[in-house]
Amino acid sequence: MAKDLMFQDEIKEAVRDAYAGISTGAGETVARWLYSDEELAEVPTGAVAWALGVGNPVRYALLQPGEDVLDVGSGGGIDSILAARRVGPQGSVIGLDILEEMCERGRRHATEAGVNGWTQFRRGEMEDIPLPDGSIDVVISNGVMNLSARKSRALAEIYRVLRPGGRVSMADLTVEGELPPEIANDQSAWAG
Amino acid sequence: MAERVFAAKLQGVGFEDVWVGGHRPSGIDEASHYPLFTEEVIELMRKTLPPGRHDHVATGVVVKARKPRTHGRTKRTT
Repeated sequence: MAKDLMFQDEIKEAVRDAYAGISTGAGETVARWLYSDEELAEVPTGAVAWALGVGNPVRYALLQPGEDVLDVGSGGGIDSILAARRVGPQGSVIGLDILEEMCERGRRHATEAGVNGWTQFRRGEMEDIPLPDGSIDVVISNGVMNLSARKSRALAEIYRVLRPGGRVSMADLTVEGELPPEIANDQSAWAG
Repeated sequence: MAERVFAAKLQGVGFEDVWVGGHRPSGIDEASHYPLFTEEVIELMRKTLPPGRHDHVATGVVVKARKPRTHGRTKRTT
């Protein structure tokens, strides 16, 4: 058991270090694969440059005005800002990220986008979400769940903070079959 | 994580109406745009994965699910 926990801590540390060590996101090229021109026009260029997701969870979330949204692993804030546009000031968006510097980027981009009045960014871990039970209507995430060494725990936390009838829309990468161990065990591959 | 494992984990903590869609192949060239992948691991992928898999190493998906409206089971996991 202790060894497993150490392994989990090592993974968490490796992921945190990897994200703390980058100076930009995947950039506009990747963002254009994932988001429409109209969607990209809704967010500041800085948030587009910091896009690190693998899909478009907001498009599938069917957000309604007035809903309260949690963006798990909010990064530079692109999905939080898109969500904030859809729920409007009657709703709210909380971006949660393990890195304070990512939260700062999210705040800056949300301010540039003019949605900071109902969008906030908090430092925290998806396995221990700092929100009360039943306080959120929709949870979104983008390329984040695979980063957790305790995925069931993270999903249980998301379940806990959702209101009854609440929903999730999560973009992520799935892998069928085995990857060569040199890749599967590489810290960079895990973080990526 | 495999798609069926992702769906099973959601159901395991109590979610219902699990839906998986938006499938999009993701290959090595795409991965190389992400700063999280080092040049070394990109090269490692090119060397160790069969060429037929270079354009489809993983699949991007969107997974949706709903918490039951009525009192559902909440399972704390460690």
